[in-house]
Amino acid sequence: MTTTEPAAKPFKNMPPPPPSFLGSLVDERTQPFWDAAKREQLVAPKCSNCGTFRMPPSRFCTNCLSMDLEYEPLPGTGTVFTFIIVRHPLNPRAADFVPFMPAAIDADGAPGMRFISNVVECEPEDVKIGMKVKVVWNHVSDTLTLPFWAPA
Amino acid sequence: MSLKDKVAVVGLGMTYVARGEDAGLAVGDLAILAAEAALNEAGLGHKDLENFAWASGAGDPGGMAATMGVPEVMFAANLTSGPGGGAGALGLAASSIVGGFGDVCLSIITAQTAPKRPTGTSSVFRANPVAGGGAYGGPTGPQPEEAFVAPASISSQGATTAMIANRYLHEHGVPREHLGAVVVSQRANAGDALTLEEYLRSPLIVGPLSALDCTPDLEGGFAAAVITTTVERARDLAQPPIIITAAATGGTPSHATAFQMPSDTFGSSGHRAVAADLYAMAGMGPDDIDVALLYDDFSPMVLMQLEDYGFCGAGEAGAFVAGGNTSVRGGKIPVNTHGGNLSSAYVRGITHVFEAVQQLRGTATNQVDGAQFALVTGSPATIPLSAVILRKA
Repeated sequence: MTTTEPAAKPFKNMPPPPPSFLGSLVDERTQPFWDAAKREQLVAPKCSNCGTFRMPPSRFCTNCLSMDLEYEPLPGTGTVFTFIIVRHPLNPRAADFVPFMPAAIDADGAPGMRFISNVVECEPEDVKIGMKVKVVWNHVSDTLTLPFWAPA
Repeated sequence: MSLKDKVAVVGLGMTYVARGEDAGLAVGDLAILAAEAALNEAGLGHKDLENFAWASGAGDPGGMAATMGVPEVMFAANLTSGPGGGAGALGLAASSIVGGFGDVCLSIITAQTAPKRPTGTSSVFRANPVAGGGAYGGPTGPQPEEAFVAPASISSQGATTAMIANRYLHEHGVPREHLGAVVVSQRANAGDALTLEEYLRSPLIVGPLSALDCTPDLEGGFAAAVITTTVERARDLAQPPIIITAAATGGTPSHATAFQMPSDTFGSSGHRAVAADLYAMAGMGPDDIDVALLYDDFSPMVLMQLEDYGFCGAGEAGAFVAGGNTSVRGGKIPVNTHGGNLSSAYVRGITHVFEAVQQLRGTATNQVDGAQFALVTGSPATIPLSAVILRKA
């Protein structure tokens, strides 16, 4: 991939683009997630000591306080746990993007944590709690590939 | 040992100036004017003050004490975290008095329109601490964790609440009409005849919430003050003492995380643990409460608190409210008898404390006959969450 501008809206009903600093907001703990995302592989942060998934990948495991972290490859499917429909651009930056649908996703293979992302490729009226979704990838820049979720 | 029945509310004071009419008064000045009014109501003076205990967001307690010329400060502390509300401030005040630090305590809550904010906005627009860096923001700015939350663009308190509310509505099959019932019921308590049809015509901003599910923003500067002291000393003061029967401050930390709460408490106000602690200290339950002042930054939080405080079973609050059970006119448990912040403006729930005290004094505008016990809750947002039970002496 090059550094040329990506298509503004590769998917239908995407949220506004993230702030530009996000691509550099990484450290040794989170780099493996973004590296895997670039390869379009969904992975979930997991405590190496006790196996508890934790999202976001914070420094300490909330179950055992271990600082050791690993990433478990996932099949990339999941279920909508909850969502909202943003219809009013709360931020002027969002004006060209409403409606969009932020959601919490229960990913298959990673119980006890949720991905916080968006349902895309779907009309707002068709999003339902409990609907099956699959991960799709938005290559925002050389350093940032974001997972979204589309109807499975 | 607990603070049960040892401390009384003895004075209330409030100041408000509309935007553009503040005559150069900063919100800290309004706080001192409110304190003076509360002291006057109690029959005390500012040199009687010893303890300074409030919820966050009203400036520095010790600094204000110095500005007021208080001879000696014996306690100065803030509850941490979000808006918390007046309930949390009362719990902290009672703790300071029962702890023996000093006998007379001032609690302050302030709210102010941001100077550049356009008029007519509402709570739905307030910045989201999760996406805005509050939850994970460190001393050097946004932390790497934020990249896992921010791209979703859940960029306001309204959006965060809507995420929780939609799960709640889904789990229990609660229709939006039942959110409307909260809004209509509280507007009716405030003397404003909003109909359910009008509510349903209000466009969704962040589905499932419309602007009417959110509190209007304050158009000006506001400060409220509450004076507390020992029950013994309260007997000699100007107002009938209203006793703090119980207080609780805390909650389950997972509720403050970025939508990672356990499934069984996700669609809730997060108050369940606080309610259990509160009733345990009071030695009573929901059936003993005569009037409930529930923090209402957003309408669904009223439904979820009705359940978390045991007034209804899980998923039953919507039908309960729609059935008129929370009305000040003959409802089983009158809720937000003053209309709440949904019917006025976002002032961090402090008017709920004032209304509870006035109900128990017997001086409320919408008086609940024979009210003996009042429940007041604070913000159902980030921990600590707080609540108090007040009673007539």
